[in-house]
Amino acid sequence: MKSSKLATKTGIISAMDLKRTSTRVFYRFLFALCILMVLICLLPPLYVMLSSLKSVQEFYSIPPTIIPRSFEPYKIIDVWVKTNFGRHYINSLIMIAGCVASALVFNGMAGYTLAILKPRGYKIGFAVIMWSLMMPTVINIVPVMVNLTKIGLINSFLPLWLGYGANAFQVMLFKSFFESLPVSLVEAARIDGCTSLKIFTRIILPMSKPITMVITVLTVNSSWSDFLMPYLVLKDKKLMTVMVKIYDMANSHFPKDYQMVALLFAIVPPAIIFIFFSKYFTQGVSIGSVKG
Amino acid sequence: MKLKAKAGQEAKKAWTLSRFTREFGGWVFMLPSLVLFAFFVWEPMGYGVVLSFSKLRAFDIVGFAGLDNYKYVLNHPYFQTALINTVKYAFWSLIIGYMVPIIVSTVINEVVHLQRFFKFVSYFPSLVPGVAALLMWQFLLTPGDEGLINSVLLEVFGIEPLPFLQNPSWTIPILIIALTWKAAGSTTMVYLASLQSINPELYEAASLDGAGVWSKIRYITIPGIYNTARLMLIMQIISIFQILYEPMVMTGGGPSNASLSLMFLSYQFAFDKIQFHYASVVGIIVSLILLVLTAIYLKFVKPQDS
Repeated sequence: MKSSKLATKTGIISAMDLKRTSTRVFYRFLFALCILMVLICLLPPLYVMLSSLKSVQEFYSIPPTIIPRSFEPYKIIDVWVKTNFGRHYINSLIMIAGCVASALVFNGMAGYTLAILKPRGYKIGFAVIMWSLMMPTVINIVPVMVNLTKIGLINSFLPLWLGYGANAFQVMLFKSFFESLPVSLVEAARIDGCTSLKIFTRIILPMSKPITMVITVLTVNSSWSDFLMPYLVLKDKKLMTVMVKIYDMANSHFPKDYQMVALLFAIVPPAIIFIFFSKYFTQGVSIGSVKG
Repeated sequence: MKLKAKAGQEAKKAWTLSRFTREFGGWVFMLPSLVLFAFFVWEPMGYGVVLSFSKLRAFDIVGFAGLDNYKYVLNHPYFQTALINTVKYAFWSLIIGYMVPIIVSTVINEVVHLQRFFKFVSYFPSLVPGVAALLMWQFLLTPGDEGLINSVLLEVFGIEPLPFLQNPSWTIPILIIALTWKAAGSTTMVYLASLQSINPELYEAASLDGAGVWSKIRYITIPGIYNTARLMLIMQIISIFQILYEPMVMTGGGPSNASLSLMFLSYQFAFDKIQFHYASVVGIIVSLILLVLTAIYLKFVKPQDS
């Protein structure tokens, strides 16, 4: 191991501690733990991926082979076509686009009001939003579904989109971002007679690119993975999102190797998004944790 | 004096037209969001209470049921099983799910070699969508000699095939492990942010004073992440008592109800049997349990002054 990094190390184990052999062994042990963590995090999905691309005979052999002997990547295309997966990707894209728009507009407007406009009695609005952060949300699914059935919004993306507009955590993220903007700009514009709407579109929006990116990335990821509400609301098989489809495949009589290939379709897009936008994921966490 | 000051304040807050439009504009801006919060959070909460006391025919309330729904659910043979299972979920989740992110983040934070890579990888499972992760583990853990993990165990370690999820007393811990695999990454990021906000000078000063590794953990690291860990504790409890789609996807509540959770029971009442009043009763009971637990938490787990 390179010792230059260790020579200046701070933290629980400092450079000074590392002069002792026992601590150095301990440091190596920690490093080995990290390697173990890498294996635990990456091996299961890789393994499922590789074994799903085994030939049919090998896939169903008992006991299964540990190291795959055959590799048939064209199975991916085969499964995609046979399950008509393109349609489910489109459904998921419709879902994501609406959820992102809804999250940005509604949570953004609430965060903006709470941070900048602060109309009389805004604290009531603040309480309404913040207390919902502590509410057990899963419990609400039953009454929400009764409501949606009564209104006739089953098999519609609308309730799914709107649900993302009531996210207290994102309102918090927006609020703390807007609070960090220079107040003087807003004050000056107000003195010049700008309306609230103009202040928002001309001053706030152009400066809000970072928070917009954070919320977009977080919402894309969570609406892609969303399962329970889409499963309950989108009953029509043609409307199934990717997550609902893979659950549906697991419960119908699709061959097991097909199911595993379909898992690939579900895992790859968020992984690609993360590789390009990982910065925004961690920013979301750090903005959130400052307030927490 | 007081009166004068008050009068002055009143004058400042006089309702001029421009002020009115500003105040009004503010509320107009917040209103759509508040309506959504009302529709998705607050109204359902009240409606759930109403449903739990109502006689229902399909979706329509046809009368007041008093406590009959509650009596029915509390005497239902599955209710007790689900309650005990949910407590088991909470127990295993506090042992496994709560500790893993704390340990992983502390270790990663100490390892200076490849640290960015380790951070990246530790977050990776959080990107795998929940349902996909659960189906993946279900596949890997196939019982008997068809299972991949079993064949690894047999050929590498010489261990006979294990039943995994088929063994009623293993189901819940295994579900929690699968859940932790998926969820620990994002919590790890929160802890890492909190660990990195600890002033490094504290560690240096402690080192100069001759403090060892363990005492630095005891007196600097643990106080440094205490408030984060405190928040995570209640979040974990609130979410684990609502565990629903993990058993639904991986085991369907089985084997013989060994992984049936309260919210899954509620789900079955609602969407398999179309008995929304009983489903609501279970929901209300879970809310009450969480209310009590939160009160206990607020009483005994105090925040730490920084």
